[in-house]
Amino acid sequence: MDVALDSLKFIDLTTSSIIFLFIVGFIGGLVSGFIGSGGAFVLTPGMMSLGVPGTVAVASNMCHKFPKALVGAIKRFRYGQVDIKLGLVMAASAGIGVQVGIKIQNMILAAWGQAGSNLYVSVSFVAVLVFVGSYVFYDAMRSSRNAGADETPALARRLQKVELWPMITFKTANIRISLWFTVPVGFATGMLAATIAVGGFIGVPGMIYVLGCGGLVASASELVIAFAMGLGGTINWAMHGMVDIRLTLIILAGSLLGVQLGAIGTTLVREVMIKIVMGSIMLIVAVSRALALPKYLAQLGLMDISPERVALMDQASFIIMCAALTLGAVIILGAMFKARRANARLEREAYGQA
Amino acid sequence: MAQEVTKKQVLLRMIGFGVASAAVYGAVFQHANAITELFSRGGVYAAAPIATVFLVSYVHGGFASNLWSALGITAKAPSKTVQATKTKRPEVRATLNA
Repeated sequence: MDVALDSLKFIDLTTSSIIFLFIVGFIGGLVSGFIGSGGAFVLTPGMMSLGVPGTVAVASNMCHKFPKALVGAIKRFRYGQVDIKLGLVMAASAGIGVQVGIKIQNMILAAWGQAGSNLYVSVSFVAVLVFVGSYVFYDAMRSSRNAGADETPALARRLQKVELWPMITFKTANIRISLWFTVPVGFATGMLAATIAVGGFIGVPGMIYVLGCGGLVASASELVIAFAMGLGGTINWAMHGMVDIRLTLIILAGSLLGVQLGAIGTTLVREVMIKIVMGSIMLIVAVSRALALPKYLAQLGLMDISPERVALMDQASFIIMCAALTLGAVIILGAMFKARRANARLEREAYGQA
Repeated sequence: MAQEVTKKQVLLRMIGFGVASAAVYGAVFQHANAITELFSRGGVYAAAPIATVFLVSYVHGGFASNLWSALGITAKAPSKTVQATKTKRPEVRATLNA
């Protein structure tokens, strides 16, 4: 029995769109498995470029995100990198952050319309990614020069010394800190997730620089947060009937392959690589979103720019975003390849000596 | 501690999960339109896409995990770091061995 789908909500799938979604799913999964988040910022606009309505794109992306995060979290838990308690504590405050983020979005939408909302999203993207991404990248370069010797950041050291009830010990992360310092980090993660769909860009650096976790545990525990938030979001979207299961399953086919490869990669490379990949992606995505700003400023009548130029900048923005994800994947695969070659050489030398 | 699995076991698991994964994908895409319409009715029907992605994450996730193992791409066992002894070593004292 063939059923005709609502053409306003669901697109016709072509071979090229299936291949595109599978590949982006794989690369997004690879990056997520490695740095704990990512992929969503390309997948949602990617689906929209295929003609999928915005809400269906967001819902279908979210529906693929939580099982991917679950599989990645289980894999990295086996490697001893996930602090479940930290992930759940952060997820609880992130849940509140998501609700507040949605409320702010709705308020902006009501006051300034779709263009105002888009401008708010893009400005948040650029501001957060430039500020946090620059620091992550700077710290990654510094750690890289110090042969990867990672020490607890000064802010986290200071906060850990504050004895404010209730103090929580996170065993895997090997930190003891007041609950009240985890709340703002989780809240900001949720706010960002509701605004730009990638909460990990605040969550992972927050866990590293504010709470004092290592990069490995932070990126692995972010997967727990992503799972919890993704599941909650999916229930909401699915209740409104917005999930296109075909798109979700195609992306999931690629991303489950990628997320496991990314998780394996974290055990092969130096921990500082997580910060390098995250910082690089954040800064490039910031450039991409900055190119989208003039369009929204023009729609609000705050800037005069020709439609041809806007179209060109839109295209450039999407290409740069894809480039950010691809660069992340290339760095991860390159580092994994190098690490495997170095390990094989060491094993050969050890065998030669025996 | 996880038991060591042989290459043959990995291959068998990969094939088993692969067949299961292909069956799930085949079943969904055979009736893609009907299932997409059913799963997007909202309300209690929301359970259907969520249950499906959980099932896919198990079967396709199992396939993916064993695929990478079969290709020899496996995690590196964490190296045991040698902890510095915490007990204070006795200070060297001049002794007279007469």
